[in-house]
Amino acid sequence: MDLNRIVAQSLRVGVLVSAVLSLLGLSLWAFGGFGSVSVPAVLSVGVIIGLAFTGDLTGIVYLGVIVLIATPIFRVAISSIYFAAERDRAYAGITILVLGMLLLALYSGAAG
Amino acid sequence: MLVVSPFEVISIFLMSILAGLVGAVFGLGGGILIIPFLTLVEGVPVPYAVGASIVSVVATSSASAATYVQDRLTNLRLGMFLEVGTVLGAITGAFVAAFLAPGILLVLFGILLIYASTIMIVGRRVDFPSGVVPDRISRRLRLGGEYFDPATGATSRYEVTNTLRTLSISGISGIVSGLLGIGGGIIGVPTMNLLSKVPVKVASATSNFMIGVTAAASASVYFVRGDVQPLLVAPLMVGVVVGAAVGTRLLRRTPPLRVKLLFAILLVTVSVAMILKGFFPQIVL
Repeated sequence: MDLNRIVAQSLRVGVLVSAVLSLLGLSLWAFGGFGSVSVPAVLSVGVIIGLAFTGDLTGIVYLGVIVLIATPIFRVAISSIYFAAERDRAYAGITILVLGMLLLALYSGAAG
Repeated sequence: MLVVSPFEVISIFLMSILAGLVGAVFGLGGGILIIPFLTLVEGVPVPYAVGASIVSVVATSSASAATYVQDRLTNLRLGMFLEVGTVLGAITGAFVAAFLAPGILLVLFGILLIYASTIMIVGRRVDFPSGVVPDRISRRLRLGGEYFDPATGATSRYEVTNTLRTLSISGISGIVSGLLGIGGGIIGVPTMNLLSKVPVKVASATSNFMIGVTAAASASVYFVRGDVQPLLVAPLMVGVVVGAAVGTRLLRRTPPLRVKLLFAILLVTVSVAMILKGFFPQIVL
C-alpha cells in the first residue's frame, strides 16, 4: 500500500466532487430564476442531504462543502490507520491526535 | 441573511479565477487576495468573507497538494507532525475571531498584507541547505527525508532541525489562518525553510499539504457557526479550482523584480484601504 498515492487520489476526488456540486447548485439556482437563498437554522448532515435532493442551492453547495472539509479529515484518518498497520507508534499517535482535534472542531461548533 | 445578486456571484467567480492565477504567479495563497476583494469591493461582512475564503483555501490546497504528494516533494512525516500545531492554532483562531470586532480583523489583515508584500520582495530562501544537524526530536521522529528535484535531475537528502520552535510557529500560523481565513503559507514556508532548514521546494509542498487540514479545522468551526454563505462559497470554490489548475500549468518561472515590486505596491495600497476600513467601517470602495 502506497500512502502517497492514496493521499493524492483522495484529495483530488474530494476537490472535484465539491467543485462539481457547487457548479451544479449555481446552475440550478440560475435556471430557477435566481430565487432567494436561505440557510437552515439547524445544520445536520441529514438536513443537508435532504435539501440537496430537492435541488435546493444551499443543500447542494453545503453537501459540496461537507465533502471538501471531509477530504483532509479522511486523509488524516487514512494516515493513522496506515501508521498503526506499520506499527509506527509515534506517528499513529500524532495522526490520531490531529484527527481528534478535527472532530472536536466539528462537534464543539455543533454544540455551541 | 445575506443577499447576493447574480451579478455579484459572477464577479466573485471571475475574481477568484484571477486570485488563483495571480496567487500561483507570486506564490501567495488565494485567501490573501479574496478577503480584501470580498470585504472592500463587495462589502461582505468580515465573518462571511473569512468563512467563504477558508473553505476555498481547503479546495486550492487540496488540489495542489495532490500533485506535490504524487511527485514525492512533500515531507509527509514533517507535515503531519507540524499539523498538531497548525490545527490547534486554527481552531483557537476560529473561535477567538467570533469575539473580535470586525474592525480589528480588518486592521490585522492589513498588517498581514504588509508582511506578505515585504516577504515577497526581500524574503530570503535557502534552496539547498547543507551541514544541517538534526535535533533529538527530529532524529526520534525521522523527520529528515529526500526528494527528487526535476530541475537538477538528482535526488537530494536533507535533515530537519529546530523542531520545537518550528512547531510553535506553526501554532501561530494556525491562529492567523483561523482568524483571517488564509492558508498561512506565507508564515509556514519561510519558517520551515529558514528555521528547520528544509529545502524551499519541499517546504512549500509540505506547507501546502498542511494547509488543507489546517483550513479544514477552521472551516469546520465557521461552517457549523453558519458563516459559510452558499452564494459566496460556490462561485469562489469553482473559481479557485479553475484558477489554480490554469495557474500551476501556465507558470513555472518567478516574475521579474519589477513586476513583484508593482504587485507589492498594490498589496500595500490594499492594506492601507483595509486598515482605514477597520477604523471607519462606512468606507466603501
